[in-house]
Amino acid sequence: MTPRHHVGIIRFPGTNCDLDTWEAISLVPGLVPVWVSHKEKNSGDLAAIILPGGFSYGDYFRTGAIAARSPVMDLVGDFAQKGHPVLGICNGFQILAEAGILPGTLLPNSGRTFLCQEESLVIENCRTPFTGLFDPGTPVTLPIAHQEGRFFIDPDRLQDIEKKGQVLLRYLNNPNGSLREIAGLTNVTGNVVGLMPHPERRSSSLFGRPDGLLFFQSLALYLERQSLRTLSEAH
Amino acid sequence: MTADTVSRFKIPAHEMERIKSLLGRDPNLTEEAVFSALWSEHCSYKSSRIHLRKFSSKGPRVLMGPGENAGVVRVTSRTGIAFKMESHNHPSYIEPFQGAATGVGGILRDIFAMGARPVALTNSLVFGSLRQPRQLTLFRRVVAGIAAYGNSIGVPTMGGEVWFDERYAKNILVNAFALGLVAEDGIMSAVPPPKPLLAVYVGNKTGRDGVSGAAMASRSFTDGDTDLRPQVQVADPFVGKKVMEATLTIIREGLAGAIQDMGAAGLTSSSVEMAAKAGLGIEIDVEKVPLRDSSMEPWEILLSESQERMLLLVEEPRVGRIMDIARESQVSAAVVGRIISDPVFRVRKGETVFAEVPVPYLTDQAPLYDRPARARVPAPSPSAHHSPSEAGRHSIVELFHRLLDHPNGGSAEWISRQFDFEVGTRTLLSPGHDVAVVDLREEEHAVAISMAGFSHPLTRDPGRGAMLLVAKCVTDLAAVGAWPVGLTDCLNFGNPERPETMSDFVLAVSGIADATKRLGIPVVSGNVSFYNETDGISIPPTPILATCGLLSDRRRLVPGRTFRAGLSLALAGTSHDLSLGGSYLDWILDEPEPDPVPQVDWETLARLQPFMSVVLAGRTLCASRAIGRGGLLRSLLQIVSGGTTLGVALSLPRLDNPLQTFFSEAPGRILLAFEPEHAPFIEQSAREFGIPLRTIGITVPHLWNIRYQDRDGRSKELSDSPEQLKRRYSASLAGQMEELP
Repeated sequence: MTPRHHVGIIRFPGTNCDLDTWEAISLVPGLVPVWVSHKEKNSGDLAAIILPGGFSYGDYFRTGAIAARSPVMDLVGDFAQKGHPVLGICNGFQILAEAGILPGTLLPNSGRTFLCQEESLVIENCRTPFTGLFDPGTPVTLPIAHQEGRFFIDPDRLQDIEKKGQVLLRYLNNPNGSLREIAGLTNVTGNVVGLMPHPERRSSSLFGRPDGLLFFQSLALYLERQSLRTLSEAH
Repeated sequence: MTADTVSRFKIPAHEMERIKSLLGRDPNLTEEAVFSALWSEHCSYKSSRIHLRKFSSKGPRVLMGPGENAGVVRVTSRTGIAFKMESHNHPSYIEPFQGAATGVGGILRDIFAMGARPVALTNSLVFGSLRQPRQLTLFRRVVAGIAAYGNSIGVPTMGGEVWFDERYAKNILVNAFALGLVAEDGIMSAVPPPKPLLAVYVGNKTGRDGVSGAAMASRSFTDGDTDLRPQVQVADPFVGKKVMEATLTIIREGLAGAIQDMGAAGLTSSSVEMAAKAGLGIEIDVEKVPLRDSSMEPWEILLSESQERMLLLVEEPRVGRIMDIARESQVSAAVVGRIISDPVFRVRKGETVFAEVPVPYLTDQAPLYDRPARARVPAPSPSAHHSPSEAGRHSIVELFHRLLDHPNGGSAEWISRQFDFEVGTRTLLSPGHDVAVVDLREEEHAVAISMAGFSHPLTRDPGRGAMLLVAKCVTDLAAVGAWPVGLTDCLNFGNPERPETMSDFVLAVSGIADATKRLGIPVVSGNVSFYNETDGISIPPTPILATCGLLSDRRRLVPGRTFRAGLSLALAGTSHDLSLGGSYLDWILDEPEPDPVPQVDWETLARLQPFMSVVLAGRTLCASRAIGRGGLLRSLLQIVSGGTTLGVALSLPRLDNPLQTFFSEAPGRILLAFEPEHAPFIEQSAREFGIPLRTIGITVPHLWNIRYQDRDGRSKELSDSPEQLKRRYSASLAGQMEELP
């Protein structure tokens, strides 16, 4: 029997891509989505955590600023510290950066407007739990939908994340002024991933390619291997 | 006018007299405030009501018609779509960002008040020329305001229309449409059941914003209207989302007897209108209303249009659970009154009564006007003129460039990319198409939404122009295989006290009513916006329609553009009357003696949808698109817009009137792109359904070449570069918006 891994989807007040993320996870055999409240303090039997997109707390203040200080983020910090997979999509990425779990910050787009459009991207780092099914250099097409997606970090640390191969995804045509076209990145240990594009919106498709589903299928594969490893270690 | 008839709330003198005779006394301040709101054009429809009776809202699929927060039409065996459109023209002109954002919030509340979860938004925007800095700012801020609300609350803005025309410079139009899904047995109503009920307030606290907004929107602007900003409401999509989720939970648990959103005229209209529908009265204690500012006067509380508020009528045992839901959702809630058997509207503050007015005086006995109408006299034309149909006078290539270079003919992507059009992942056809298509995720069905608000045909001929708009919607829907199931409208007009405006209104309403009856489309909801007038100058007649159509199998849908070379292109549909009157070309040229507005070929129009259904079911098409704004050439450019280099090679027969062939917008025509091997099936289907079909050319990379013979049999050729045409198309609006510092 395929083991079923619980993937926690965090709902902050104002999160609005929660149902879309739920549907995408449901499409992947072996993954079972579960809701996690913004007040939750216990990670239970979660195998991975996703922070979906939206406008947490209305984003009236600096984006992600309030959500990054809500009770569930202590749980997320511990969970990430222990090396478990954590994915932040769009607002989720902004919250992870604001919480200091991922490096850098997301500033307002250089064009100063919200941007909802498809972007051509290239995958660079495939060693994370969410990118195992890609080859380095794979072109993918995913939609962005954000007002604050301009990745920024000081020059020293930029050099550092480049050197350590933490850049996961780059835009082909930089839409928002991000430094070095960065659209997604990972932490030093490679278990926490932040993406400005929305993979959950390309998990099934009538016309185009469902490039987004591969991120979640990668997670299923990763968790599957993890549990096999744990089993063999136990024996 | 005598001194004592002067109203503090700008109620006209003769209506003040009527109030006094109804009451048998002078109204006090609070009562006068209540009358000013409920007798306003915005709330009472006093100038339009007798004409709106022409619309038919009947149909086998109609579950809820006019009189509710929104109309509901059945689309699957168990689900209905609730949809409606509303204007927010006046507030958007005064404060564009908040005006537009609250327009979106307001229409969403109408939808979820029915128990429907909103899944799609569209809009129709009309502005003055972008050459004026003021219009640039208004436009930029309106788009940002719509984006701010829709993106944040997580309802996708899937499409819309935009039009720039100097005649709207001082009265911009911002119309928002929303659509939601509701289980047939979960529909909520604004008509309360005959039980003892308490009035429960749920949502944002009440402040001074938007006080008297409905009355403001029921007057013309004058030059001194710079002090109206406090009458514009302030949007809070974050609270809006919490109120939406709380309301939907309350409805799902069956806790409320009736619900209405506190929109125009806020607490007053929602409470009085619900009581009136039950033939009962209602008592409100303003002391119980959650306030942001405790110093607010009773009349201010009654007239505040603070956003994100709902009024529920609830049986007493269920109040506790509602309070719990509100607390969990972190929104305010309070019992603010109760339904009473005595049909009066009574306003108390603690023990003190501030107003007591019989409910019928506020509703049934509100003024009803059959205002005089006088047809417009056409402007006399100068003696020397050239009809646009006069072939040869204009270079077709040059005209096509002019159509594309104007923001009205260019790509609207600068707007749509600011809207999150995909959140919810139900978007099957994204902006850039003539219709938005929403996945119902049930029985493989989908719903297509077509917007039509191009006013130029109505400027030429209000009655025929209005019919054209209905026919345009039906053509757009047919192009994706959808058949119309319901229509909503927002009728934007000038000052109804002017006989010319009233004549336009009556003709347009008749045109819409005739066309919808002929096609069997129920008009399930609607809205009228009068007084779009500044300094005595009214806007052109501008009804904006949204028609919803049903697709029985979403998997058969094809997009409106292709990137593939070597496809056959064919034109299906009428060639009965391709007159240019009222077209975009007609607007650009503005000839003194234009063509007449084309007559709709109803026969062909009715057969188009079944024909398209069969062709789509055969999976023979790669792309399809209705011939719309700008005519055949612009639609060709759009259908090859899937790739940056793709163009067309057309070979046409002898054309008696090339301008009509290339630029007519007569509805009832669809452009098809398909693999050549499918031609026999498509031609056979066209014959079976009696649809005229002409294969006109193929898609070719790097080529834009159109050959035809003119009236005298001379060979003609139009050549262009598809790459350059596409650059023109994408730059005409974006270029204007992005050049700013």
